[in-house]
Amino acid sequence: MRVLEPWLAAPLTGLLRESSARLALVMTASGQVIAQHGFTRSLDVMAVAALGAGIVATTAELARLVGSSTDFGAVVHHGDRQGIWLAPFDTPRGRWIGIVVFGRDSSVGLVRMFFDRFAAEVRDAAPSLTPPRELLAEGFERELDDSLRALFGEASR
Amino acid sequence: MTHTPWQQLLDSATAVPGVRGAVLVSVDDGLVIAESAMDHLATADVAALASAIVQRACRVSAAAGHRTPHSVRVSGEAGTLMAFAADGLLWLVAVADPSAELGRLRLLLGDLAASLRG
Repeated sequence: MRVLEPWLAAPLTGLLRESSARLALVMTASGQVIAQHGFTRSLDVMAVAALGAGIVATTAELARLVGSSTDFGAVVHHGDRQGIWLAPFDTPRGRWIGIVVFGRDSSVGLVRMFFDRFAAEVRDAAPSLTPPRELLAEGFERELDDSLRALFGEASR
Repeated sequence: MTHTPWQQLLDSATAVPGVRGAVLVSVDDGLVIAESAMDHLATADVAALASAIVQRACRVSAAAGHRTPHSVRVSGEAGTLMAFAADGLLWLVAVADPSAELGRLRLLLGDLAASLRG
């Protein structure tokens, strides 16, 4: 597991353990990855994050078009061997998105239940938002490198 | 079978004294198909956890060379969960307090599950 923010590790570990999920990804609504488990290639993570953020944005717009007062709660793709649970949730840091890939040893119901608990734990555990720092050009590359190293380890370099 | 008869069957199970709720569960995905329960019973969570128990019980039976179980019962200090195979992947699940008439509930759930199969 790789997390950008250490306080996220405990809730994510609980979600993975209880739901028997294979892969998990937590990201902001814009697709910035915050934590991941199970992915071995950074390219996969970036692609999944981008596609997931796109799906959530698309379904939110679809909900608006059909007159729903709120977004759809979650999007589930259920295949023969594995399923994908994709759901946005609100945190003190803004709207985040969780993607959980699960196999035959889990179920949509189990993932839903433990994902709801995960989202509640994240809401409770999230530190208050600090004022955004000014992003300097010389610091950007180092911070990006630190973030990628935290998410993928030395193998990403 | 339409949703209304399902509801009547579940209501009859919940009418047994001490039964907190009855849920028709799709064991394949752990979701609620129909339910009759007290307000504070989290039926979606019951469905998810009961389906996980049933799936594991079925795997244990298969590994032991036995046939698929037609019922699963889990008892604890706070109550009992009973699950009966209904139609295909549908299982009838009931959650009862320790004070519930479990013998009566078991017979009733068996009959209800059989009627769902029919």
